[in-house]
Amino acid sequence: MSQIADPTVVPLRDPTILERMRSATVSLGRFLRGKPLGGSGLVVCVIFILVALLAPVIQRHDPDQIFEGPNPDYKANPTVIELARNPDIGSPVVVEQFIEPSGGHWFGTDKFGRDIWSQVIHGARLSLIVGLGASVIAVVGGLIIGMISAYYAGIVDLLIQRLVDMLQAIPFLVLVLVFTQITERSVLNVVLWLGVAGLAITTRLIRSAVLQVRESEFVLAARVVGASDLRIMIRHVLPNCVAVLIIAFSIGIGAYILAEASISFLGAGPQGIPSWGQMVQAGRGSLDLHPWQTVFAGSAIMLIVLGFNLLGDALRDVLDPRLRGA
Amino acid sequence: MQGYIIRRIIGAVFVVFLVGTFSFFAIRVLPGDFATASLGLDAGSASAENIAQRKADLGLDLPIGEQYANWLWDTVRLDLGTSFLTQNSVWYEIGRSLPYSIELGVLIMIVGFTVAIPVGLISAIFQDKALDYSLRGLAILALAAPVFWTAAIASLVVLQWDLFLIDVIGQPHLWEDPGRAITWYLIPMFAGGFAGTATTMRLLRSQMLEVLRQDYVRTARSKGLTESAVIIRHALRNALLPVLTVMGVTIATIIGSQVILENMFNIPGIGNKVLTSLFARDNPVFQSVVLIIAVFTVLTNLVVDIMYGVIDPRIRLS
Repeated sequence: MSQIADPTVVPLRDPTILERMRSATVSLGRFLRGKPLGGSGLVVCVIFILVALLAPVIQRHDPDQIFEGPNPDYKANPTVIELARNPDIGSPVVVEQFIEPSGGHWFGTDKFGRDIWSQVIHGARLSLIVGLGASVIAVVGGLIIGMISAYYAGIVDLLIQRLVDMLQAIPFLVLVLVFTQITERSVLNVVLWLGVAGLAITTRLIRSAVLQVRESEFVLAARVVGASDLRIMIRHVLPNCVAVLIIAFSIGIGAYILAEASISFLGAGPQGIPSWGQMVQAGRGSLDLHPWQTVFAGSAIMLIVLGFNLLGDALRDVLDPRLRGA
Repeated sequence: MQGYIIRRIIGAVFVVFLVGTFSFFAIRVLPGDFATASLGLDAGSASAENIAQRKADLGLDLPIGEQYANWLWDTVRLDLGTSFLTQNSVWYEIGRSLPYSIELGVLIMIVGFTVAIPVGLISAIFQDKALDYSLRGLAILALAAPVFWTAAIASLVVLQWDLFLIDVIGQPHLWEDPGRAITWYLIPMFAGGFAGTATTMRLLRSQMLEVLRQDYVRTARSKGLTESAVIIRHALRNALLPVLTVMGVTIATIIGSQVILENMFNIPGIGNKVLTSLFARDNPVFQSVVLIIAVFTVLTNLVVDIMYGVIDPRIRLS
């Protein structure tokens, strides 16, 4: 440490945690005021995250619990003909299926007598894990591949770009369907494959950002003073791509949630966990008489995707106005 | 210009080749194969010899390299093979299903663009007015709503009010029985159009706002042209160009939603074939339909890029 204190230099000190929190609150407040739509998106996202975290507390019933009630038509010793007319007549209790939304079951019950509210609540967990997880994988992978592609131009770049073209020539849904079939359809695997399928888009976005930064004066200056490739990439290029990374991360989430819902709807989604897409499909069997399962599960998908899209749009406008409308 | 077109064509062919290779290996990497699955249906009869025999019949016992070389050579000669599942030639299967998909795809595009273009235009003209906000809100909703859910809710509305009968059994083409075909296509075409073109609408709006600020629009106005002439002849034509460039992406999105919609409404199109052949491990059909979809999107991109190069000389240089 230097012993001589220079009076003209105001010592820089790290901001305290309190100051940091205050400055974060101020910028959050500015964001909410400047971007009311983005702010409402943020609120929707936060609500869904809270719902997912607190699912066991606010569920009211176990999502797998099958509700049974007394059979109004019960008859102790039914004749064969009565039994043929109504197969349930002989049992004193029946499954309480297709109950309308009421105080006991806020969203009603499904075909198997399970509480739809609890199922929708637990479905939020899967959607959030899938959306956030896949987006992280796609951005991190896209960052590595995009940087390599942009930095080592020439044959490597050309090959990666053609592979990206290949992935984009196949509809995203088909790509996801194929990938998720390769392994066992656990939640983790589905998240992983969704992220891999999303690599094409993030790689392209990040590559073009890196190409732009690479041409800037300060990268040239860094090279002049003899910085290594790796140092230039990490110290100079990467920090200047952070905005694009945040944008790529936030606008992808909604798309991954929709993709998971779609494959679940087609019966090829993750197994052993309540999924909104699968619930929409299950409710379709009795859509005309008992639409509640389809209506509520689908509304949940739309609302969560809406929230993340609004938030992503607002973040993009704030961080990179040039990309507006893209 | 010629060099540019040739380079683009070579690139496109290479991408199609990559997609074909990808789908060839993808369907073989998946667990399970058609020989085992088809024998598994008649319980107990699937001995090891039976499976081996079946694999040999289907050509699945050859080393993967040989299978790949065979596939490549056959595909180059436009021989797509025979479906494992139906025993028909793949060309026959495609010939039967492609018209349905093109029919639905065109209907979706018609709905999408007849909604997106005027809506984008109106939204830009009434920028930051109540109308603009509500139209943009609608577009944001359209982007967020899953296409299968929109279609399910539309079916619910039709069923609840008994609007019309949805015939999913007859499978008529529009040119065979237009009255029945349209009731069959109505919901999927609106659901697909709603979902597929929200992006177009938003892009058109932002492009219009950009173009309306340009000098040549001011010139057109100061020449005394009517507002409609300025907007349609000078502004819209320029604003539509960027919308054209994302046509390939738009079409890929529409094909993606067609996979779901064809499955929901029992439309025997290409999208439905993708699903059935994937789940049945019907290798020849799966490879071919993925290839055809890729040819379609790549060709769209190619045509758009070349057209763009013709219209706008600046593109050719980059």
